[in-house]
This record gives sequence, C-alpha cells and structure tokens, in this order.
Amino acid sequence: MYDNLKAESALETKDIKFSAKKVQVFYGDTQAIKDVDVDIEDKTVTAFIGPSGCGKSTFLRCLNRMNDTIDICRVEGDILLDGEDIYDKAVDAVQLRAKVGMVFQKPNPFPKSIYDNVAYGPRIHGLARTKADLDEIVEKSLRRAALWDEAKDRLDTPGTGLSGGQQQRLCIARAVATEPEVLLMDEPCSALDPIATAQVEELIDELRSQYSVVIVTHSMQQAARVSQKTAFFHLGNLVEFGETDKIFTNPEDERTESYITGRIG
Amino acid sequence: MSDTTPEYSGAGHHGGTMDIVRKGLAKRKRKQAILQGIGIAAIGFSLTVLFILLASLVSTGYHAFTQTHVEIEVFVDPEEISEENLPRGGFRNVLSNSLGQYFPESDMSDRAEARVLSSILSNGAQFKLRDMLVEDPSLIGQTISLTVPTSDPYDQLNKGLIDRATPEEFRRLKDEEIENFDTLSELGLVSKPFNAGLLTNADSRFPELAGLKGALVGSFWALLTCFLISFPLGIGAAIYLEEFAPKNKVSDFIEVNINNLAAVPSVVFGLLALAVFIGWFGMPRSAPFVGGLALALMTMPTIIIATRAALKAVPPSIREAALGVGASKHQVVFQHVLPLAMPGILTGTIIGLAQALGETAPLLLIGMNAFITSAASSPFDSATALPTQIFIWADSPERGFVSRTSAAILVLLTFLITMNALAIFLRSKFERKW
Repeated sequence: MYDNLKAESALETKDIKFSAKKVQVFYGDTQAIKDVDVDIEDKTVTAFIGPSGCGKSTFLRCLNRMNDTIDICRVEGDILLDGEDIYDKAVDAVQLRAKVGMVFQKPNPFPKSIYDNVAYGPRIHGLARTKADLDEIVEKSLRRAALWDEAKDRLDTPGTGLSGGQQQRLCIARAVATEPEVLLMDEPCSALDPIATAQVEELIDELRSQYSVVIVTHSMQQAARVSQKTAFFHLGNLVEFGETDKIFTNPEDERTESYITGRIG
Repeated sequence: MSDTTPEYSGAGHHGGTMDIVRKGLAKRKRKQAILQGIGIAAIGFSLTVLFILLASLVSTGYHAFTQTHVEIEVFVDPEEISEENLPRGGFRNVLSNSLGQYFPESDMSDRAEARVLSSILSNGAQFKLRDMLVEDPSLIGQTISLTVPTSDPYDQLNKGLIDRATPEEFRRLKDEEIENFDTLSELGLVSKPFNAGLLTNADSRFPELAGLKGALVGSFWALLTCFLISFPLGIGAAIYLEEFAPKNKVSDFIEVNINNLAAVPSVVFGLLALAVFIGWFGMPRSAPFVGGLALALMTMPTIIIATRAALKAVPPSIREAALGVGASKHQVVFQHVLPLAMPGILTGTIIGLAQALGETAPLLLIGMNAFITSAASSPFDSATALPTQIFIWADSPERGFVSRTSAAILVLLTFLITMNALAIFLRSKFERKW
C-alpha cells in the first residue's frame, strides 16, 4: 500500500535519472557506503549532505565511476542510469562520463587556453565536425556557465589565469560542453568566496532546467538554497532522503535533526 | 642557568609555563644555530674543494690553450720537392734548410747539427707543408711564409715550464738548443697564439699536435646513441610502470630492480656490453655506437626514475579533470600528464646524459681508449671519448700532455656545466605553479 503510494508520487513528479539499489562501497576491507538506496530525478537539484567522512563524496563518485581509478575501491549493488546498470561490463566508463559530467571541489582547469579547456571534451568525443561547430559549442557552454561575457575577449589566454570563481565556472562550462545529462558537483563552492559562490549557485539553479544536478555540500544553507531534494548521509548510511523543505523543517530521523541543528557533524 | 632557577622555583605551582618555554626556547635557538652552522660549514667545505679542483685544473690547463709557433720563410726547393712526386718529397730537408738561414754560423750539411735545429719544429710542420703543396703545387720553387707549431720541449721552454737554471744534464733541452730557440725568439719569429688545434685536431703522439676533435666527435656519437635508445625506452617503461601497470608483487619487484640497476657500477655495464654487443653480436670494438649502448643501459634507470617522479608530481586534480570529461586512460596520460611532466623528464634525462658524458669505465672496457688519430665519421668507426681521452693523456709521459689533460678536463667540465645549466633552465622555464 505504502509502496504504491510512493510509486505514484514518483510518477507524478519527474523521471528517475539514477536509481541506486543496495549500493555498498569498500576501500579494501573498510566499508564506506552501506546499503544505499536512492532515486535521483531528472531536472532536479539533489543535495548530498552529511558530516565529513560520511560517504557522500564516495557515493557521488560511484555515479560516474570515478572510483574505478582507485585500485582498492570495490562497488557492489546496482546503480541504474536510465534503467541501465552503469557497472555492467558492457558499459564503458569513458562513455558514461561523457553522459555524466563532473565538477570538482577545487577548480581544476587544464593548463591550456580557455577555449581549449571547453573544447577538450567535444574534441575527444568527436562532437564537432567543423571549427565553426566547435566555436559554437564553446560559446554555448561558456554562456551556460555565465562566463562568456568575461571570457569572450580572452579565449586564448590560459584558463589557470582566471580568478577562482571564474575557474570554477570554466570547469562547469567544460563539464556541460559534452552535453551531459547529469552533472555531478563535489563541493563546488568550498574553495570560492561568497560572491563567486552566489554566482555558481545561481548557475546551478539555471542548469536545473536542462540537467539533473547532484551536489555534495558541507554548507546546509547552500543545500537549502539550491536543492529540491536532499539526502543526508551519516557513517556510510543514507539516513534520510526527501524533499529539501521537509528535511530541513521536519526531518523524520533524529540524526538528521541533530545534524541540521548542529549537534553532530 | 643559576639565575633562572630561583625565578622558576618561585613562580608557584602553576605559573611556571612561560619560564619553561623560555628555557626551552634558548635551547631550541641554540640547536637551530648549530644546524645552520653545520650546513654552512658543509657548503663552505664543498666550495673550497671545488675551488681547489678548478684552480689546479686552470693553473696547469691554461698552458694548453696556447701553443708556441714559429714563423719561417721556407724556400720550396724544386730539387727536394717536385710536383710529380707529390705527396712525397724532401719536406724535412726543405724545412731544416730554411731554418738554417736564421743560423748563418751553423753548418746545415752536418746532419747532427741539422737534426738539432729542425727539432725545434713540430713533426707536424712537414705535413702542413706537404698539404699546402698538394693543394697548390705552383708554390714549388717559391719562398713562402709558414707558421708552424714548435715541438713540445720548446713549447714548454717558451711557456717557462723548463727552468733554465737547472744543470744541463738534468734538463730536457741542452744549452745549445735553448740558444737556438732564443735566436729565433730575438728575431721576433716566435708567437704564442690561441691553440685552436686543441679542439680541431684529433689525437697525436706529439703533444703539440694532439687535440680533442676525435674525442669530441666520439662523445657526440656515443651520447647521441645513448639518448636515442635510453630516452624513448626509459620514458616508455616509466609511463607503463607508473600509469598502466597493476600494482602488485611483480611491479614491486621490477621497481626494486630498476632502483638497484641505477646503483650498479658502470664497469659492470661495460663488461655486459663487451660480452653481449661485441662478443655475441660481433659489433666493432672501440665504436661509439657500442659505447652509446653501454651508456644507454646505464642511463635508462636514471631516466625511468626521473620520469616516474615527474609523472607522480602531476597533480591528481588534472587527471580527475580529464577523466571527468570522459578522456580515456591513454588520453589522460598523453594529452595531460605527459606534457606537464615533460620539464621534469627532460631535466632527469639531461642529468642522466651528463652523467653518461663523464662516464669512463664502460668505454675503457669496450676499447674506446684506443689511440686513434682521426675523428670518427660514423658511430661505427673507432673513436675515443672525452673521458677516455683524458685517461689516455693522463697516462702519457710527455710533458705537454700534463697541461693537455687538465685542458681536456676543463673542456669536459664546460660541457657538463652547460648541460646541467640547460636542465635548470628548462626546469625553471616550464615548471608550473599550482
């Protein structure tokens, strides 16, 4: 009865982009994620919050198989993207990452020109047939990342020469240049000042119209401001997942309430 | 100590913290001063040793950068030299006769006296005259002005390295010979120009003619071979080990062995090259190519270690950035990591090559210490190299080779300094700040 209601409400709202079932992640013998079940909706900002070391970044990195690069990391359970298991042998991580873009905690532009930074993804995936196509993609991506006006006259200058906030927006432009369907953001504002943070947050809100955005953040205010859904992680468990408003005003779990009110974390 | 103790004991049971800190502070400062002193002393000691080395090299070596020459008017006697017989002819007679004109009282028909006189000129003088005449036979019958090196003892005399006060029986030159030279000197025929032959001549039995060209060319070929083999192989091995190889017991074993290989004495690589390249594969002895192969074996571990360190130093954020937009492993390595690691790789390579340039033992074993009087025209010709040339000269009894040994060391040091400076320049120019 309860299950049916839940399914109906899901249908009413939005398509499910990611569907994780019983996900467990191990680093060697230590278990970092325990039995996480979560559904991430399309065209929604989902925030992962929780104290340090709770596994939220680890779980985020499972969604584009970034954890593959860590030898001792082992992922169990199912993570379905549009109904397809991304950990299936047939799925190529490279292809997956073109579909699921990522923005990192510290702005990490390539030590190349602004243009080349944005054009890199489309180039390696062969998305542009002509130079004009590529120019268009670069412009569109920079516009989407609200960086075009600042960068259009200096596309040939190194991306590393931009300010921190601009660098992070450049990384967002680089991530959206490959036309991903999901954008993962791992504490994208933790290295930015409040003004740059505000710009990036505004951007996240705009990106929601086209992408499913998953953001890991340490700032509960940020989660409250930008997200529609919030997942609270604690000690590798997904404690509570639901509408952001509800999590912040009327959490069901005691631990969530303690964390939000600042008693743990 | 004694004046702080009462203060400390009187500070009560909980107020002594600052005193304890203050006491400790003096001790800490003293320790730091001692440490700094040791550091400065160590650097001072190394600089002194370096200075002594360079000073002794320069003080003996600078003589080799000049060479005493005499300018004589030579009548090319058609009776001694005829066009048909070239390149044979009585060059020696022509030269000693010409020399005789400056010594009117000497009898050039006395062979002993003529020999004493013509010993002033280097043996190379007759070859120089021969080459001039072969090139332009019309000079036969004319009087030409010829500037030729003197032989080594007279060069030493002119440079003040032979003490005239030494009793005649212990002196390299007899009184008569010194008088002869002084006569030429008073006529203003003796000069001491820059010794270009040191760099443009190949080795010779006669110090005044011996130069480093053969060694420089040999070292060039050996180093080129060494670079072409060790650079791609070293980088390839390092990239595989660092980026692609699974981390397990096998790769640990390989790593230990590579580090070990870097410490193997170079003479062992020389023996290996002798046994394998010359013994089994039948490659030529004394060839810079084989020398280069031996040096490549020696340089490769250095390059592998430097490359791995440079690859490791590329920040993981760049790898993540590239992986995050969907680059494959090899795209990450070749489009991002490798270009960023290149300055470090090049620095390591240049330092490895500089080490190879100065390496002597493996070259001795494959016979690159042979006496070879012409520069190699290919890496498969016999040649010497700079360090082995130093070895040969240091072993030669002639006085002239003493200064030439030092000069050769200075030339080698110049190349080493240039290469190391280039490495530092590359590192500072292309190093990225994160």
